[in-house]
Amino acid sequence: MKWYTPLAAAVAFVAACGGPTEEPSEPAAVAPEATAPAEPAGVLNVYSARHYDSDKEMYRKFEEETGIRVRFRESGTAELLEAMKNEGDNSPADVILSSDAGTLYRFMDAGLMQPVDSDVLSERIPEHFRDPEGHWFGLAKRLRVIVYDPDRVQPDQVDEYADLASAAFEGEVCMRSSTNIYNLSLMGELVDRLGEETAAAWARSVVANFARQPQGGDTTQIEAIAAGQCSVALVNHYYWVRMTQGSDTQRNTVEKTMLSFPQQDSWGTHVNVTGAGVAANAPHKEAAIQFIEWLSGEEGQFLLTTETKEIPLVEGAEMPVGLERLPSDFKESVFPLNTLGENQARAQAIYDRAGWN
Amino acid sequence: MAGLIIAVPVFVTLIAGLVNGGGDAWSHIRDTLLVGYTGGTLGMLALTGIMILITAVPAAWLVTMYQFPGRGVFEWLLILPLAAPGYVLAYAYADLMGLMGPFQVAIRDVTGLSARDYWFPDMRNLPGLAFVLTCALYPYVYLTARAAFVSQSVCALEAARSLGASSFRRFWQVALPAARPAIAAGLALALMEAAADYGAAEYLGVPTLTFGIVRAWQSFGEPAAAARLALVLVAIVIGLILAERYTRGRAGSQQSSTRWRTVSRARLPLGAGLAASALCGLIFLVAFVLPVSRLVWLVMESRDSIAPIGRALFNTLILAGSGAALAFVLALVIALTVRQSGLVAGFARLMASTGYAIPGAVLALGALIVMGQLGLTLTGAGAIFALAWVYASRFTTSGAEPMVAALGRAPASMGYAAESLGASPLRRAVSVDLPVALSGAMAGALILFVESLKELPATLMLRPFNWDTLSVRANAYATDERLAAAALPSLLITLAGLLPVILLSWRLSRSRPGDAE
Repeated sequence: MKWYTPLAAAVAFVAACGGPTEEPSEPAAVAPEATAPAEPAGVLNVYSARHYDSDKEMYRKFEEETGIRVRFRESGTAELLEAMKNEGDNSPADVILSSDAGTLYRFMDAGLMQPVDSDVLSERIPEHFRDPEGHWFGLAKRLRVIVYDPDRVQPDQVDEYADLASAAFEGEVCMRSSTNIYNLSLMGELVDRLGEETAAAWARSVVANFARQPQGGDTTQIEAIAAGQCSVALVNHYYWVRMTQGSDTQRNTVEKTMLSFPQQDSWGTHVNVTGAGVAANAPHKEAAIQFIEWLSGEEGQFLLTTETKEIPLVEGAEMPVGLERLPSDFKESVFPLNTLGENQARAQAIYDRAGWN
Repeated sequence: MAGLIIAVPVFVTLIAGLVNGGGDAWSHIRDTLLVGYTGGTLGMLALTGIMILITAVPAAWLVTMYQFPGRGVFEWLLILPLAAPGYVLAYAYADLMGLMGPFQVAIRDVTGLSARDYWFPDMRNLPGLAFVLTCALYPYVYLTARAAFVSQSVCALEAARSLGASSFRRFWQVALPAARPAIAAGLALALMEAAADYGAAEYLGVPTLTFGIVRAWQSFGEPAAAARLALVLVAIVIGLILAERYTRGRAGSQQSSTRWRTVSRARLPLGAGLAASALCGLIFLVAFVLPVSRLVWLVMESRDSIAPIGRALFNTLILAGSGAALAFVLALVIALTVRQSGLVAGFARLMASTGYAIPGAVLALGALIVMGQLGLTLTGAGAIFALAWVYASRFTTSGAEPMVAALGRAPASMGYAAESLGASPLRRAVSVDLPVALSGAMAGALILFVESLKELPATLMLRPFNWDTLSVRANAYATDERLAAAALPSLLITLAGLLPVILLSWRLSRSRPGDAE
């Protein structure tokens, strides 16, 4: 690309300031794509689709322990994906961190991740929570559960996802938009287990039970149940747990609701993961593997989940405060998580046809 | 040349929509979503249009024709809501009127009812969207209607009065028909903005074509399918323009008496006067005070944990600044050639106003397709340039307008003098017209900058990676259920938006033909 006019030159100069935010070290501008990389050994570029303050603490701690400087970019999944495709071979990304297996699959499918062989990770992370070829590794669990109003609903009325489609809940169901990745991933499993026709019928019946058009996020659904607008909804468990640890208003709200872990008598509750993979053209592959292994260790597991209230995935890791409110023992679905990604477009089409906005 | 630069994104999108197959996603979108998107856009436009008319026209009539308490203040206060973009009002109103908003919480606390036991207006549907867009866009019609009433021949009204027509009949049968072309022009502008809205529709969960375009690109990764949707949207916008032209054409000879007389405002009796004040006050309260103070309250409440936006502010200044700079140069070219009646200059002006009518999402799509064809990637300078291009394409007209107006005010004899002294056309443009046009440049540049800063869908689609602007941050926080964090960037956008609006109302108050206070 050649620039001739002063305006374009000014623009190009400014664009050079668009590198990864350098935190927690000095937030200086870095431009891996514009300047020739003269980086010291021991740098790690993380592309993250998460945005939690505790992640910054996590990066700082890793820096402290290893001397490897962490630079990170946080953005939405679609933007990260688009950015990496555009950067191509010159992408500075080493690690991709994302909070949904369906999303990790999209990176893998686009050829943006490389397989990694790590004994540490293979040993610590159960087989069904990582890509068979090592493109990505699950690090924390998130469960899609039913939240309900205990004044109106008995626990045994909501012990399966199918119950949400029951005629008993006409005008009682609140949901968020079907374009949301959590709903897409749940459908990714349902369509595989139930078949397309049954899954589509389920979606149609759930839509028929809507108390209102899909709106807001998971927290909005919990609030709607507490306020009495509807009596059942789907949420990820950690939104509920966070509210139990939140402000007085949030606690008062969440205490009016309860969680049910569906499919205990069959295949188990739908599990998704926050996970990480090594970028296809990672300039610092060793550091990238080291970081992911560190995340699977004691400290990494704790820092990864302490604010988010996800469930640590590695056996024996310390539980975040608040998780004691969940049942101590429940059955999780064992399901190849790549399938969630493979089924994503199908899932969206099913929801769209059912009229689930 | 300027016109061509502006027009390319539009035509590229249209051609891509016509030529390309649309991909797998298109057949899905066509079969299951197209009707909903189109219906959403048409329904929103119809409802918003009606609500804008019944809000703006009576308000304009009152402040122009009658004297009542606070009239002078309301005259310009009623313009202020123009400062807040629709999506900012959507965040504020969805929260205010929502289940956990102050009104509903108070209802439940006081009555002990649960949410299913009472009815409360829901913002997250088509009427809610129309309401929010009405609040943001009614000033367009208010402004044009007011200008039409002010400059209307008073003689026709007095003739009607002397024939015994009631004040309502004078409004309905004399003033309104005469002002119709102006009102239609304002309404067309407002509805073009409404059709371009992405943020409010997305947040309130109303599927519209603009929402569909962004989603087709973002979720399905299918620019071709998005371009097909853009075709439908552009067809609707062209329909709006044609409808406006039609109204104007038929109203050509209605102003039979052009004699000028000062408008003498009838003083309303106390009761009616207070009612008029209350109506104007209510409009201002609902469209501006209530939502903005809710945002202020949200910021204050969470000031300890507010997300830092310094970087977003910096990005906004650079991106909107680049867009404004490019658009400014183009606007200047258009302004300086406005006196030339040649085919080329006329084409440039036509193209510039076409760009204004086309939603940002469509232009962004065109820029994406061009970049793809040229093998450029959406990183760094390339992306900034693409975005500046789209801003320029969309907003050049609005920036050129103050400069054209400044030139229009300058006496034509200045130009003749230059010509008779033997100045070449170029020399004349540079040493005579340019200084004159620059007197409107401040206003033009300000408008360009603020319009670019408020823009959401194109910025969302084209901004370089890690270059979140205030509008993108506000949108991200709001959709992430972090409304308190969204409130601060939203307020800053509104604050910036106030600048050109205040400038506008100041100019209005200075240039009022026939208005003797």
